[in-house]
Amino acid sequence: MKIRRLKDLFKVISIIFLLVLNAAQVSFAMMSMDEKGMVMNANNDNLPKDCPKISEEVNLSIHAGRKYAAKFNGKMFAFDQQEWNVAPCAKINITFINEDQIRHQLMIHGLPGYLYPEGMLHLELYGEGELHASVILPSQKKTYLVHCELAQHAEKGMKAQLKVGGGDGDLPSIPALSAPVKVDVYKLDWQAVMWGGVLILLVSVLAFYSGRVLFLYYLKMNK
Amino acid sequence: MVKKYFIWGGWLIALALIILLVKWFFVLEEHARARPPATVSSSADNANVEKPCTDDHVEWRGAQEIEGVSILASPVCEPDNPFTIAAATKGTNNVSMSTLMQSHLAQDSIVMGEDLDDDGDPDVIHIKLEVVELNGFSPDGDYLMNTYNIAPGLQPSLWVYAPKMQGMAVKNFNSRVAHPLLRAPSPVIRVEQGDKVYITLENTHYFPHTIHLHGVDHPWLNSEGQDNDGMEEHAIFPGKQHTYEIQPRHAGTMLYHCHVQTAQHFMMGLNGMFIVEENQPNNWVQTLNIGAGQVRHPSVSVKKQYDQEYDLHYQSLDKQLTKIPQEANDPRLISQKMSREYNMSTSTENYFLLNGHSFPYTLRDAMIVAGENENIKLHIANLQRTPIAVHFHGHKATIMAYDGVDAQQGSQITRDVFDVAPAQRLDLSLKTQNDGLNSYGAGLWMFHDHVPTGTTTDGMEPGGNMAIVAYKKLLDEQGMPTMHEGMFNDVFNKEYYAKKRPIWSVGDFAFLLGDAGLVVPENGELIAFFIVFGLLLGIIGLLMWLYVKKDYEN
Repeated sequence: MKIRRLKDLFKVISIIFLLVLNAAQVSFAMMSMDEKGMVMNANNDNLPKDCPKISEEVNLSIHAGRKYAAKFNGKMFAFDQQEWNVAPCAKINITFINEDQIRHQLMIHGLPGYLYPEGMLHLELYGEGELHASVILPSQKKTYLVHCELAQHAEKGMKAQLKVGGGDGDLPSIPALSAPVKVDVYKLDWQAVMWGGVLILLVSVLAFYSGRVLFLYYLKMNK
Repeated sequence: MVKKYFIWGGWLIALALIILLVKWFFVLEEHARARPPATVSSSADNANVEKPCTDDHVEWRGAQEIEGVSILASPVCEPDNPFTIAAATKGTNNVSMSTLMQSHLAQDSIVMGEDLDDDGDPDVIHIKLEVVELNGFSPDGDYLMNTYNIAPGLQPSLWVYAPKMQGMAVKNFNSRVAHPLLRAPSPVIRVEQGDKVYITLENTHYFPHTIHLHGVDHPWLNSEGQDNDGMEEHAIFPGKQHTYEIQPRHAGTMLYHCHVQTAQHFMMGLNGMFIVEENQPNNWVQTLNIGAGQVRHPSVSVKKQYDQEYDLHYQSLDKQLTKIPQEANDPRLISQKMSREYNMSTSTENYFLLNGHSFPYTLRDAMIVAGENENIKLHIANLQRTPIAVHFHGHKATIMAYDGVDAQQGSQITRDVFDVAPAQRLDLSLKTQNDGLNSYGAGLWMFHDHVPTGTTTDGMEPGGNMAIVAYKKLLDEQGMPTMHEGMFNDVFNKEYYAKKRPIWSVGDFAFLLGDAGLVVPENGELIAFFIVFGLLLGIIGLLMWLYVKKDYEN
């Protein structure tokens, strides 16, 4: 009997917990949203703990669309640039421009959680248009992941990186910048390597005759 | 001279030994096989058993009212999100920010406009759909993205129409699991007869697609003189959108599907039900039924005649076709593999889904939960490649409509097997009166496609589209069927569908019908065999040494 009551109590507590969690998600203070899109966790003036002041202010306009993938083979969506470099403690003012007739996002991951819940800045446009948001970066040398989080958009090219203070390396599978971890297999153009056969023949004949000359010389010396 | 004979004799002995060993090996094997091995106990290996019900959203099950929309109870394990139902009924432009956030729909995804006929419900509706790939490729590692399990451990890639949502396509920022709005089957669209409906396809996928409104009254061109039939030659390319316009004069259960590379795209999952409800005053219909299943806010005319309403979407998948998007990242390679290297005319069906899941996951969200003396409306759509023959245990149901056209009195046939050709629809009335005809009484009555492969998952039974007409009192507090616990440990296990577990691996019969172990020959015999083998190798070595020595001495 007692155990059953305890179970019920747990259930009630868990339901209350879930409700509170839901409520917390709803009353997100750092988010704005309308019929065009949304901005989550923009930060205009809260300095990261390790930054006494803003080192530089950078204006970035980032375009997103299918047409920016045209210069990369085998990609479908992309941003107009694949890498941005800023100084530690920089404030970046982003203008995010979507040139497609579908939804695109600009998400920056790995930001400090005390300023940016879940460590991310999230800009989303429900169609063609633009959004503005600022973010202040910490002093740490770090490479941040920038991508669109729609299914298969980052995979098919909409992925970039933001380097602070030179960054700490490159992220994989950024178009024309870094190799994927899992590469596609393409057919080899055998015609393009055909001339190699002639080279092999040439080298082998050369090797045979020079070897023969050397051997005969050796015999002569040992006589 | 003696030495020569010695060597020749040695080679003869070696040859004899080889013959003996070969014969002996078969004798040993036969001896071993004559003694059946013991049963291997795999029932102890329960590391991969999933909880039959994770009980994530207890608060979603009850009857409730959100934004003035009354939502019926759904006592199953995984009920639909009531906030999504409320937003889909009122329109995403007519609900509070809190409801919209909890529905996860984009603010412009279902926009309700004017009430044209002044009967208390909106008649201009703008619906926006995206195309989503589930279980897709990732260039960043050996894993799939936006995962969606159709059954334990099974992740074929799927393409679905999805409501335009906001936020991430995954459950949360450190998960690869698809967001719950992104699932199979494509959502059921419900509108009212005479509504002015605009359906915008926003192609978020990497291939061209269209929406063809199969059986739904629509003009061939839209008001701008553009394609309105969703044909291949008017494909919507990635990053583009197109709006189809309809004002259906006829009510009934219809379909929508992609008509680009139709054989492939249809079998990848780009198909759904499109239901036109009768025009009635104050008729706010549930515009989208995500994942099909129970309609928790039925229309006015359905409520008049029925106690409950369910959408049943039968779908099949080809495991070879659905593997293709997981084999490459480059869209050109995927296109080549899917349409030219793979020959769709050799396609087979391996997975059979009811409302996006195969058994046992159908028990979580695809059951029909019945009370006694109810009249339940069922919409059956066959979106498989082959005909289905749906059979209800313990019941006979009556056909009320064929392909969205009401059946006349004489053709309202009552039977227990319903044959539905590909793309056909049936509306059924399932009565739970315990009179020996309509129903044989309360129970956990299975219903499934009676084509024998329909209840298998890549050949594994029980699987496929098997589900249950469950009488409420026989469900436990989590909405799972009682008296099935013995089976749950078997089937809620990815090892089972990976064919690594015997069919009967738990319970009293496990030791009789479990896996036969490996045969092992007896130790004594084996030792003797290996000693002779060793002897042979030694003799051969000795002979070769003598041979070389002789050569050297010469």
